[in-house]
Amino acid sequence: MAAGNPTELEVIRVAYLGRSGRLTSTIKKIKGLSPEDKKQAGVLINDTKNVIESEIANKKNSFKATPRKWFDPTIPGIKPKIGHLHLITQAISNISQTFEKIGFVRVRYPEVEWDWLAFEALNMPKGHPARDEWETFFVDAPDHPKYGQIVLTPHTSSGQVREMLRVKAPPIRMINIAKCYRRQSDVAHVPMFHQFEGLVIDKGISIANLKGTLDYFARNYFGTNRKTRLRPYHFQFTEPSFEVDVSCDICAGRGCRLCKEGWLELGGAGMVHPTVLKNGGINPKIYSGFAFGWGVERVLMMKSGLKIPDVRLLYSSDLNFLQQF
Amino acid sequence: MDIIIPEIWLRDFLKTKATAAQIAKCLSLCGPSVEKTSGKGNDLVYSIEVTTNRVDSASVYGIAREAVAILPMFKIQALLMTPKVTARELLAKTVDYLDASVDSDLCPRFAAILIRNIEIKSSPDWLQKRLILSGHRPINNIVDISNYIMLTLGQPTHTFDYDKIKNHKMILRKSNQGEKITTLDGKTHTLPGGDIVIEDASGILIDLAGIMGGQNSAVNENTKNVLFFVQTYNPVNIRKTSMALAHRTDAAVLFEKDLDPENVEPAARLGIDLFTTLAKGQPEAKILDIYPHPHQTKKLTVDYLTISKNLGINLPKPIITKILTNLGFKTVWKNKLLEVNVPSFRVRDINIAEDIVEEIARLYGYHHLPSTLMAGQIPDPHPDSTFDFETKVKNILKGFGGIETYTLSFVAKNKAGEDALKLQNPLGAESEYLRTSLLPSLTTAAKENSGEKEPFYLFEMANVYLPRKENLPEEKLMLAEIFFNTNFREAKGTIESLLESLHVKADFITEDAKYFLPSHRLVIKTKGQKIGQFGVLEEDNLIYGELEVAKLKAASREFLAFKPVSQYPAQIEDITMIFPERTKIGEVIKLITNNSELISKVELKDIFRDNYTFRIWYQNPKKTLTNEEVTKIRNKILQSIKVKFGGVIKS
Repeated sequence: MAAGNPTELEVIRVAYLGRSGRLTSTIKKIKGLSPEDKKQAGVLINDTKNVIESEIANKKNSFKATPRKWFDPTIPGIKPKIGHLHLITQAISNISQTFEKIGFVRVRYPEVEWDWLAFEALNMPKGHPARDEWETFFVDAPDHPKYGQIVLTPHTSSGQVREMLRVKAPPIRMINIAKCYRRQSDVAHVPMFHQFEGLVIDKGISIANLKGTLDYFARNYFGTNRKTRLRPYHFQFTEPSFEVDVSCDICAGRGCRLCKEGWLELGGAGMVHPTVLKNGGINPKIYSGFAFGWGVERVLMMKSGLKIPDVRLLYSSDLNFLQQF
Repeated sequence: MDIIIPEIWLRDFLKTKATAAQIAKCLSLCGPSVEKTSGKGNDLVYSIEVTTNRVDSASVYGIAREAVAILPMFKIQALLMTPKVTARELLAKTVDYLDASVDSDLCPRFAAILIRNIEIKSSPDWLQKRLILSGHRPINNIVDISNYIMLTLGQPTHTFDYDKIKNHKMILRKSNQGEKITTLDGKTHTLPGGDIVIEDASGILIDLAGIMGGQNSAVNENTKNVLFFVQTYNPVNIRKTSMALAHRTDAAVLFEKDLDPENVEPAARLGIDLFTTLAKGQPEAKILDIYPHPHQTKKLTVDYLTISKNLGINLPKPIITKILTNLGFKTVWKNKLLEVNVPSFRVRDINIAEDIVEEIARLYGYHHLPSTLMAGQIPDPHPDSTFDFETKVKNILKGFGGIETYTLSFVAKNKAGEDALKLQNPLGAESEYLRTSLLPSLTTAAKENSGEKEPFYLFEMANVYLPRKENLPEEKLMLAEIFFNTNFREAKGTIESLLESLHVKADFITEDAKYFLPSHRLVIKTKGQKIGQFGVLEEDNLIYGELEVAKLKAASREFLAFKPVSQYPAQIEDITMIFPERTKIGEVIKLITNNSELISKVELKDIFRDNYTFRIWYQNPKKTLTNEEVTKIRNKILQSIKVKFGGVIKS
C-alpha cells in the first residue's frame, strides 16, 4: 500500500470497503451466480476482504511510530481572572459559620440608631460617665421624643434590645455582625469598623454557658489548642461583666512579647443586666442570658498573624493590598 | 480610669508575702486589671485599669483593700493596714473661723479646717519620690499634700488662701448662666449654669467646686493661713460642668463618679497630720463638718438559688460568706436567703442581687467555673435573612474576577448627594456626611489605582443611608461595581452573567441620568420595577453598575423549574449582516428572538467593521426541523430586519 498518512489510507479503505467500494460492489453481484459459483465466490471475497483489512490495520499501526511533533508543556497557561473577596468578608463568613453551627441566628440591625437603643436601653442614661468609652458620632437631625438623638451606632450591642423585641419569647441565640462607628483614627483604629455581637437568652443560662460558648468559638475559629479565660470588668449593660482573653498561639500560653503572660485580650462579655432584659420586654425572673461584642478586625488579626501594621489599610482600595487575599 | 500605684506606697497598707508579680496576676484575675508592672525594687509601679463603677478602688488604699480580699483566694495571706493618723480635732456643725452656707443637694458633705502659720517649701524627698513614681510633678508642700491625699485615699482636697476669702464667708450654690470665673490655671470660663460654685462675702466666685479653685483665692508664696477643704459633690453637676467646659481635672474625674462621704473624715485627718508635720501648720481645734444625711446601712437580700443559677454551680455557703466578709460586707444566712450589709464605699455600685453574684463569682474565680454549652431549644431561623444570598452574589462576582473593597460610609459634602445626613461632630470635612450612593466612593477607589495598566473591576456591597422624616434613615444595601479601562461589552457581560446566574429576568432600558455620559446609561428592570443601573460615567470613562440587593434577591430564583431535555438537536447557523450606522444591535437581537418560537437562542458572535455575525439556534422540541422549515424562518427574519433596520445579509 502506497498510503503515506492516515488520510490517504482512509481513501484507500473507502475505495475498496466503503458502501460503494470495489469489493462491496463485487459482493452485490453474487446474487446473480449459480449456487455452486456463489459458494466459491463467497470464499474468495471473504479471503480478499480479510487480507485488505489486515493490511490496512498494519499500515495504520505503522503510522503511530511516526516521529513526535514538537510540543512544549512548560509554556505558561492562560489563566481565568482571579477575583478576591475582602478580608473582612472572609472573617465575617468564618465567624458567622462558627456560631451558626451551634444554633445562632444571624441578624442585622440599624447602623444609624436611636440613642435610646445604643445607650439608654443598655442602662447608660444621658450624661453617664460610662458613655465616654464610646466615642460616638451624632447625626444632625431632630431628636425623637422618646428615643432621643440619632447616633452612628458605636457597638453592635444596640441590637440586643432590638432582638429581644423581635423574638419576644426566648430562646434567643443571636449573632449580629455589622458596621460600627467611633470618633477615632490611628494605626489601631478606623472610624468605621465591624463588630460581632452574641446574645443568648433562655431559662437557666449561666456564666458556665458563656464560658462554653467562648471556648467553642476559640477552638473552632482560632484552633483546637486555644483556650479562653474571663477576667472581671465593668459594663453598664451586663452584670457580672468580663474581659475575655484567648491563649496566645505564638508562645503557647507561656508568655511572650506579643501577649500578656500568655493571654491576648479579645473583648468584652457579660451576663445580661436585668434592666436590659426588662427594656427588651423579657422577664428577668424567668430568663437570664449572656452577651459578648468583639471587633471583627481584631479577631481577624489575631487569627491569621497577618501583621498588618496599620488597620486603616483594610479600608483602602489599593489593588496591591486587595489582591493579596 | 488608668492609675499608677507605686509598690512601696502600696505596701504601707498591704501586709503580705506575695510578690509584685503574684499581686499583679491575682488582681487581674479577680479584680482591677493590672496592665503591666514596670521598674524594679523600690521603683516598681503597677499600671492598673479601674472600671468606672469602682471609683472606691482608684487609690493606693483602695487597691490594697481589693488585694486583701483577693490574695487569700489564692491561699496567700494578706492584711489591711488602715492609714495611721494622729489628728484628733473634733467635728463640728459650725465653727467661728468660717461662715458657710451649703446647698446639700450639691455637696452632700462639706468639711473644712483653718490651718494657721504654714511654711511653704519643698516637700521631703520620700513624698516627692512617691508623687513622681505615680506620674505627678512635685510643686511645693501645700500642693503636694493635696495630691498625696488624693492618691492615697481617692479623695480630692483643696486649699484656699484663708485671708483672701472676704469676711471668711462662703456660699456654695448653683451658678447662673453666664457667670465668669478664672481658675488657678489662668483660664477664664463662662459658666453654662447649674455648676457648683462658691462665692465669698464680696459676691465674687472664688471656686469652681470639684473641678478647680479660683485664681483669686489661690495659695501663693505669701500665704500664711490656709483653709483646708474636703468635700463630696453631686456627680451629675460635676460631670456636666467638666464636659461643657472641657476641663477634665483629676478631681473632676473622681467627683463625677460619686465619692463616698465617709471617706471625707479620714482624708481630713490625714491632711491635718501632713500640714502639721510638713508645713508646721497649726490647725484649729474643730473641723467644720456639714453632713446632714450621714451614711445609712444598705441591706440587700440574695437568694442562694440566684447565685447558683448565675454561676452554673452550687458554691458552698461558707465560701460565699468568706468572700463577702473579706470584701467588707457583713452577711447573715437565713436559710436559703443571704442578707448582706453593704460597706459605705460600695453602696454606689452594689444595688441588686446580681451585683452580689458578681462579687462572689469574680473572687471565687471565673477560671474555676465550668465551661459547658447551653442545652435547650435552638431558635427559629430569621424569616427574611439575606446573608446567604449576599455571600452567593459576592462569590459569583469573585468568580468573574471582581475584587471586593470596603470603603468608608462617610463622604465629603460634594459626594454625599442631596439631603444626605450630616454629622454633628465629624472627624473632618472629608467625612462629614453619610453617603446616599456608592458611586462617588467607588469612583474614588478606582482612581486611586489609575496607575494600573491592566483592566480591573472593583465591587462593594454596603448600605447607603437615605434620610426619612422624623425617623432613622432607610439603610439600603447596595451592590456596586466599577470597571476601569474595561471594554463596555465585557463590563456589561459581567452584570448580565450575574443576573443569569441568579435566574433574574431583567430588561435594560436606555435612560439618561446625572453622572453618566448621555445615552450611555441603562436602567435595569425586572417586571417593570427598577432594580439598578449601569453605564459609562462622565468621569474618566469609568463604567459603573449598581443593584439593590433586596430587589435583586426578590427577583432571583434559587433554580428554575425543570425543563425536559429536547431529544431533537438544534440547527445552528451563523449569519453575517451589514447594518446602517447607529443601529441598536440589542434591538435587532430582540427582533430575531421574538420572530419565531422555534428560535431557542441568538448570540452576537462577532463584529467586524459594520458586519455583525449572529449565531442562531433553530429548534423544535417535538421534532427535528427540516432544511425547508429553517429556510422559511430565516427568510422571515431577514425580511423583518430589512424592513425595520435596513440590515442586509452580507453577500
